[in-house]
Amino acid sequence: MLMPAEIVLLPVLLPLFGAALNLLMYNMPRLRGYLAFTVMAASLTSSVYLLLEVLHNGFPIVFQLGGWQAPFGITFVADLLSATMVVMSQLIISAGVLYALGSRDQCVRFPAFYTLFLTLATGLTGAFLTGDIFNLFVFAELLVVSGTVLTAISDDKYGVEAAYKYFYISLIASIFLLIASGLLYVAYGTLNMADLSARIAADPNQPLMPVAMVFLLAFFMVKSAIIPFHFWQPDFHTAAPTAVSALLSSVVVKLGVYGFLRMTTLLFVEQAQILRTVLIILGVIGVVFGGLGAIGTFNAKRMLAYSTLAQVGFMLVAIGWGTPLALASAIVYVFNHSLIKAALLMLAGAVASRAPVKSAAFQNVVGVGKSMPYGGALFLLGGLALAGIPPLNGFISKMTLFQSGIDAQAYFSLALIGFASLFTLIYIGRAFQKIWWEPMAPGSEPKPTGDSLLAPSILIGVCLILGVWGEPLLQLASAVASWLGDAQGYIQGVLVSLG
Amino acid sequence: MTLVIVLIACLAGALLALLFKLGSFERKFSITSLSLFLALAPGWTFIWLLGRAPQVIATGVGGSQLEWSFAWLPSLGLNLSFYLDGLSLLFGLLISGIGVLILVYTGYYFKGDASAWRFLAYLLLFMAAMLGLVLAGDTITLFIFWEATSITSFLLVAYKYKDESARQGAFRALLITGGGGIALLAGLLLVQSIAGSSQWRVILNSGALIRGNDLYPLALALIAFGAFTKSAQAPAHIWLPGAMSAPTPASAFLHSATMVKAGIYLLARFNPALGNTDLWFWMLSLVGMLTMLTGAYLGLKQNDLKALLAYSTISQLGVMVMLIGQDTEIAFKALVVGILAHALYKSALFMVAGIIDHETGTRDLRQLGGIWRAMPATFSIALVGALSMAGLPPLFGFLAKETLLATVTHPSVPIVWDWIFTLAVVTAGALLLAQSGLLVAGAFLGKRPEGLSAHEAPAPMWLAPAVPAVASLLISALPEPASIAGLLASAAASAFGAKVKVSLALWTGLTVPLLLSIVAVSLGSLIFYFRNRVRNRLMSILPDFTFNRAYQGLLSGVDRAAYLVTRTQHGRLRSYLSVMISALGLLLLFLGRIPVVAPFIQAPRLDLSGELAVLRLFSLLLAVAAALATILLHRDLFAILALSASGLSIAMLLILEPAPDVAMVQIIVDLLLVVILVLALTRIPREQRDRARYYTFHQGGLSLARDIILAAGAGIVMTAVTYQALTSRPRQSILTPYYFENALPLTGAKDVVGAIVADFRGFDTMIEISVFAMAGIGVYTLLRYASRKAGDRDERSPAPAGQALKSLGIGGLNTSPFIRSVASAVLPLALVISATHLLLGHMQPGDGFTAGVIASLAVAFWYVIFGYDVTRQRLRWFKSPYLTGAGLLLALLNASVPLLLAQPIFSPLDYGAMLGISLPAGMKLTSALVFELAIAISVVGGVSAILDALGHPKDDDVDAIRHLQEIPPGE
Repeated sequence: MLMPAEIVLLPVLLPLFGAALNLLMYNMPRLRGYLAFTVMAASLTSSVYLLLEVLHNGFPIVFQLGGWQAPFGITFVADLLSATMVVMSQLIISAGVLYALGSRDQCVRFPAFYTLFLTLATGLTGAFLTGDIFNLFVFAELLVVSGTVLTAISDDKYGVEAAYKYFYISLIASIFLLIASGLLYVAYGTLNMADLSARIAADPNQPLMPVAMVFLLAFFMVKSAIIPFHFWQPDFHTAAPTAVSALLSSVVVKLGVYGFLRMTTLLFVEQAQILRTVLIILGVIGVVFGGLGAIGTFNAKRMLAYSTLAQVGFMLVAIGWGTPLALASAIVYVFNHSLIKAALLMLAGAVASRAPVKSAAFQNVVGVGKSMPYGGALFLLGGLALAGIPPLNGFISKMTLFQSGIDAQAYFSLALIGFASLFTLIYIGRAFQKIWWEPMAPGSEPKPTGDSLLAPSILIGVCLILGVWGEPLLQLASAVASWLGDAQGYIQGVLVSLG
Repeated sequence: MTLVIVLIACLAGALLALLFKLGSFERKFSITSLSLFLALAPGWTFIWLLGRAPQVIATGVGGSQLEWSFAWLPSLGLNLSFYLDGLSLLFGLLISGIGVLILVYTGYYFKGDASAWRFLAYLLLFMAAMLGLVLAGDTITLFIFWEATSITSFLLVAYKYKDESARQGAFRALLITGGGGIALLAGLLLVQSIAGSSQWRVILNSGALIRGNDLYPLALALIAFGAFTKSAQAPAHIWLPGAMSAPTPASAFLHSATMVKAGIYLLARFNPALGNTDLWFWMLSLVGMLTMLTGAYLGLKQNDLKALLAYSTISQLGVMVMLIGQDTEIAFKALVVGILAHALYKSALFMVAGIIDHETGTRDLRQLGGIWRAMPATFSIALVGALSMAGLPPLFGFLAKETLLATVTHPSVPIVWDWIFTLAVVTAGALLLAQSGLLVAGAFLGKRPEGLSAHEAPAPMWLAPAVPAVASLLISALPEPASIAGLLASAAASAFGAKVKVSLALWTGLTVPLLLSIVAVSLGSLIFYFRNRVRNRLMSILPDFTFNRAYQGLLSGVDRAAYLVTRTQHGRLRSYLSVMISALGLLLLFLGRIPVVAPFIQAPRLDLSGELAVLRLFSLLLAVAAALATILLHRDLFAILALSASGLSIAMLLILEPAPDVAMVQIIVDLLLVVILVLALTRIPREQRDRARYYTFHQGGLSLARDIILAAGAGIVMTAVTYQALTSRPRQSILTPYYFENALPLTGAKDVVGAIVADFRGFDTMIEISVFAMAGIGVYTLLRYASRKAGDRDERSPAPAGQALKSLGIGGLNTSPFIRSVASAVLPLALVISATHLLLGHMQPGDGFTAGVIASLAVAFWYVIFGYDVTRQRLRWFKSPYLTGAGLLLALLNASVPLLLAQPIFSPLDYGAMLGISLPAGMKLTSALVFELAIAISVVGGVSAILDALGHPKDDDVDAIRHLQEIPPGE
């Protein structure tokens, strides 16, 4: 190996380092943004390197912090799943910084904006990479605090209210996780996930284990806004500054999805069947509910937030089917949705920034598209990707999902989500028509300039590439799925690693 | 490979159209010349396909020598492949041949309109998609192009997007064909999983396997649904008339010859694999028949030329679906003849409609009439097209109708149904004839209305429709065109799966079909003659039901449901929480197996022996009572104090445990909390606090009951779980003994908690102080920037009259000199205490966090006593962002030092020993100590950020205002 196992920490510590430096650059407004971008670019590079390294090795890169052997210290584990999630998140977060740099929002110029942006990155990345359930709690807290503040300072006047509700509900979620980790510690005497997995498998009859499982499940459900734990999400993702909501609705909600994958394939392998049933039921409800919500709402950003409820539902159903192909399709779906949703939210924000009254409410953005035909092409492509229409990456997700549903013989749930996926076409079609095709109210004109379209262009470009040439992502996803089938590999990688 | 070039030609054309715009070539070239140039792409395709025809025809049934395949998604076993057989060839020639004419026509239709580059780009994209669809060598490739045709046609139909009707028509088409697309994808994947491959070659040869599978009906239904929506079969036909808001060149191309035939193509293509079953027969025959009649009947009611053509197209598509359902040789002959005949006359008629619209400004039959003199060429073309549509000899349409009649009178059709089919076909034929007559007579004959100006279109514009019109005359009029018959036979054979004989002779003797045809023509002529009366009567007798209403109803049902869904997001946090908690309860009930019963059966024994037990009980009760008081006390300040009391009681319990480290943190945090909350309280206007209190304490009986039940339930569950946790400890934790053994030897800490916090799990602490710091920075940013920007004022309780606010503490009260001198002394004292905490943290209870909070509390005291200005003046070092940043940076750098020594990051180091510094006993200069210092600094930073924001008394905050001014206003 070229580099020591410390590279696992780079995607976590680089943004934190950047955040600390950013605080010291309190009076250098321009440099702060560039520093944030540089740090994120470096961090993204390191995470891509990490993923390649893990792929190359075929086993996880494990780092025992401070040299304390697992399970006594804190362990960082980059296996295929977490490395993939990290690359995805860092890609979107980097694009988010890029969007913020070209944004006309006032809040992105507040001195602490990029600091919080970077700690958000640390929180999310750390949550994916940590192999310790209490350490996960700490990272989740960092994520919550950063996200709350970033939304509270938004230009949107409902930012504070949305942030408050999110914070309140997230606090309760944190309590769920605290209870879960406490109970697991009581029952099995350890906090290390690999160790826990081995001990749960060895002694599944601990009376507190199922209770802990439910609390852990509830925690991840709040994180991914699974119905009925979703109430914070539409407000929160709408009111956040666009650069931030692009992250929240694309990668941050994937923390729960990641958690479900870990729960069903690592922590509670023997109990996975019942968990999967729950996930399928909630996933189908989410697909229908989110799709309808997106149709019913009157705000472009909020529509996309509801759409996330539905899209996460698709992922849950795939995780619920649980076959290797279904898990692979879940990974593909997770990855592609992040790109698509981030791009669409950025475009919605860019539209809002050009509206006569700055807002993404449909009544304000009707016809605004006429000043940005290029943005219209991007939005159309992104919308098609979201609806799963070729030649965009969303099609690969949808096709793989359908295929895995047929292979798993889950015809009923497949039929339900297939039907509900038509909702996507309705809301995206309507939104596109409203913004780009309907005429503006007489006498009003869009602003000539607004948020830069660079970041969404890049993301849509990636969507197009992954749609035309989807094989690398599919291969990665299949590798992840088959790795997930091997809980022993993870356990041994962590507990017997040379550290 | 060459097969792909066919697509690339059209895609390159689309790109060229885009370049025309981007490169500003509209000054040098007209849109007409661009369009004519672009016609080379389909023209080349046409010639190329024609060149391959002999080879394809020679290959015969089920074979194709022209294949090209590329491993697109090998992980899923999917290829991108293309394939050319008789069926694809027929469609490919139609698409490219009519494509050339359409492009020529478009050039003149949009003459002088440079913005039509967009239309040309969409049109060529559509052409590429359509060619890809019929040339696809496997189901997935077909599906990709299938969806591409839906999208490009969406763009074409909405080309004039400023029209409401164009937008609605495009959206409806997208929705219906998109819905069909989802079903189709599922169906195709099902077939693929049964046949084991997505390649046509394999699927077409595994018909028995597929039909024998249990899932065959499902797969068939899904695929047929997809095809029906695309080919406008009733009741999904409603999108086609709406799509007539497309510019006429698009309608002539998409809605006559190409896109609507995609479903026909798919069904014909799948016939060898899925066909020849009862289900296939009934589904296709009935849907086809229904569509045929619907189109024929509704068409007669139309006044718009294009709508009339659209309904006759629907009727013809119905015929084709019905034919595919029959699965006889003659049916497939009828199918291919019908496809070709319909494509020829319908494209001609659509282009004629476009010319009429272009030259007279209207398409409404009621405003047209008598223009045949002014437009002789157009009239002739229309006449030929209409005669073919009416199925009159000697035109090609006649042959199509004859073979159709021969099919439905074929002996294989079940008893009774042969009569019904025949009757239906004769009726539809009569109605179509009447429609044709209506079209020609209404537009060209009769009296010319006042003020209707008309003149002949430029020659290239009418030459384009003339070509197919003449073709439909020539094919049947010339003696046996063997090449065309061979092509049609090859196409029919591909669809039928066996050899089909096709002859194009018009006269085959006096047969049953001919007699039926005579009946249909007579009936049609009668209807035409009495057209006005018939139309009026029809409209009054038969219900005016259209499926539009069903579609609207469905869509508004969805909207209604959507509205209800968004209503659940009502904004009341309290009910959000109760839903969440109830959901958690349900999950626990079903999955969790809560140990509810056990603890209450074996009631815990209360052991009050031991001297501390009473104290424990007391603090426990105090904690509970104080917690209750926080809820019940109506005054905010008292509630805060009660909260603090509850926290301190917990601290007392911890001390008795004994867990002095945790107890100390608990006390410190408790004090800090009170200070922050009290400061925050002063910032909230009384009116708002009153309102909040009102909403907190005034709620309906039901919601109160709900809250009580939820709270009690949550309490019981947590009690049970905690009890279980306390009584069922199976064994000692694995970690505890390790920490006890190794704390001193490995980290040099006597205090195990200190060792865990700073060493074993130092990374937790690292992230936790980041959380704390970000909370502080967050409050600071929110209050000093965001709220100021939003126009919130710093609303403090009004000061007592006659006193300046700025140098005062809480509530505007003056402070006594004694208190002030105490405060002055407290700060240095606090710093000393902090320092000892830091230095001895590894040996004694206490750590960097407590050190930081103690220092901060002293500063908070200053804020209260001296007021903001004085404090800021005297404590210039107290700048939160820098302190926080420095603290975090120090922590990170300290953690990274081991890297330089080739040790793992975050490893414990003893700097003192390394540098050879001798320190007093009991003190060590370790990395842990530096870490504690970093924690303390960043904690002071975090707290000071909060104090700075909360303690700031004035609106004219110089720093913040300066910062805000540097920030351009949000736009």
